Amino acid sequence: MTQLRPDMFDEAAVHLDGVSLRYDSTEEILSGIDLVLKPASFSFLTGASGAGKSSLLKLLYLAQPPSRGEVSLFGRPTGRLSRDELSAMRRRVGVVFQEFRLLNHLTAYENVALPLRVMGRKESQYRRDVEELLRWVGLGERLHKRPETLSGGEQQRVAIARAVVTQPNLLIADEPTGNVDPDMAARLMRLFYELNKRLGTTVVIATHDLGLIRQIDAPVYRLADGMLVQENGEGAPTARRRTDPLRAMR
Amino acid sequence: MKPRENSLLPLEDAREAALFFVVGALCFLAALAALSAKSTYGAARAWTAQVEGEYTVSLSGADATAADEAARLLSGLDGVITARAFSDAEINALLEPNFGKSGLPADLPVPRLIAVTGAADAEGLGARISTALHDAGHTGAVDAHAEWAGDVRRMLSISRIAALSIVALLSATAIAVIAFATHAALLARRDIVDVLHVAGAKDRFIAGLFERRFWLLGLRAGTVGALLALASVAILITLGRSGAERSGLLPQLSLDFPDLAVLVVTPVIAGLAARLAAGITVMRSLRSVM
Repeated sequence: MTQLRPDMFDEAAVHLDGVSLRYDSTEEILSGIDLVLKPASFSFLTGASGAGKSSLLKLLYLAQPPSRGEVSLFGRPTGRLSRDELSAMRRRVGVVFQEFRLLNHLTAYENVALPLRVMGRKESQYRRDVEELLRWVGLGERLHKRPETLSGGEQQRVAIARAVVTQPNLLIADEPTGNVDPDMAARLMRLFYELNKRLGTTVVIATHDLGLIRQIDAPVYRLADGMLVQENGEGAPTARRRTDPLRAMR
Repeated sequence: MKPRENSLLPLEDAREAALFFVVGALCFLAALAALSAKSTYGAARAWTAQVEGEYTVSLSGADATAADEAARLLSGLDGVITARAFSDAEINALLEPNFGKSGLPADLPVPRLIAVTGAADAEGLGARISTALHDAGHTGAVDAHAEWAGDVRRMLSISRIAALSIVALLSATAIAVIAFATHAALLARRDIVDVLHVAGAKDRFIAGLFERRFWLLGLRAGTVGALLALASVAILITLGRSGAERSGLLPQLSLDFPDLAVLVVTPVIAGLAARLAAGITVMRSLRSVM
């Protein structure tokens, strides 16, 4: 288990303190989880299907309060935040859902621009950035197509573009490379890496892709039986790791 | 050319078309009930104002000359504005429904009638008319219209309250239907709400999307309902005018400024009610999630 020091908490991007989760009267899905992720860290989350990865991610992107314990993001305990403060906190978190969750009545461009519209930005302020981002993920010719006309891989890239368009402080991605070819997977990982390195975005990627995990030098957390254990490294996920996580992919 | 940016909520679906119909129908009925209430109120006022101070004197065993004499006598009473004896032709016209066009049998003792109009503030005028006639040697009865006008007034008041109750009931039903429909729409679009929620949209922002949608729906459905009510009233007025001689005491529908104001306000109220119901429903629903 991670050795926690009091000074870690204030500066942590993510701090789970004895967090447990159960839905209604069912058994606990997550039990007493402690986790500290430093700002600008890059981590993997893995585990068997049904191990609770999605539930843990829900806690991180503030879609679900814990049954016990406390979730703090960017040094602020979220349990004490007002609803408006929670909304403001969510704007600092980008999420790539496994099932994409694109809005079918909006075009690819509009889906990517959605978080910016939510933030109250004018289209004239973001149009170029959104178009550029979509071109960067290879969808420059598909800007005004609706998700149902896009392939699974294209939808996934739209979902990723939507998650990163606001340059979030924390990026949570659930199987982000599951539907793309190896070249595109490498390209998307490069995007995550650029965000992590250049903007200091804390990145958490949940994946089954052991090949991907093996290639990148980053802490791996495994969920099993509701418990979280660190699989690799020195058992110190909060240690300053400034190595290039993508070095193995080059 | 770049396509126009879409609303964050999808376009209307079949559920909203059904809701449009229901809200439109409720607005039609509510507008019609409001117009009926207003007409009933207007009719009651006009009718009671008309009969206030009206008296009918019936003289037994008197001929036309005696009736004219009595009318002249009553004209001189304090508080009497006019007193006029009915002519034979007028009496025959009144009795025509019972005796036909051939007129009255010559040997039938028919009382002579005098129509008296008194000042509205003349106190005890009925009693003074009776006394004056008695003192002059006439035998007859005085019928003050205001005495039985009270019954009609009460009946019209009850009708008005009933119409207003119907307006209130229909409005409450419309709000409840909209609240139910909003909740259903919210459940059907849970995916959109979730995405907006995770993207950091405030509750007010999400509620605002639904409020705008349902405000427009209420406004449009209310406009259709009000226009249908306008058309119905216009038809009823036309039909009423064609049978005016039979309309009697029934309240007359009209289309004056207050009526048109009712029709203009109906869609606005429907829109506001829809917006309010949608806002409250969405805010309540969002509070159940983190």
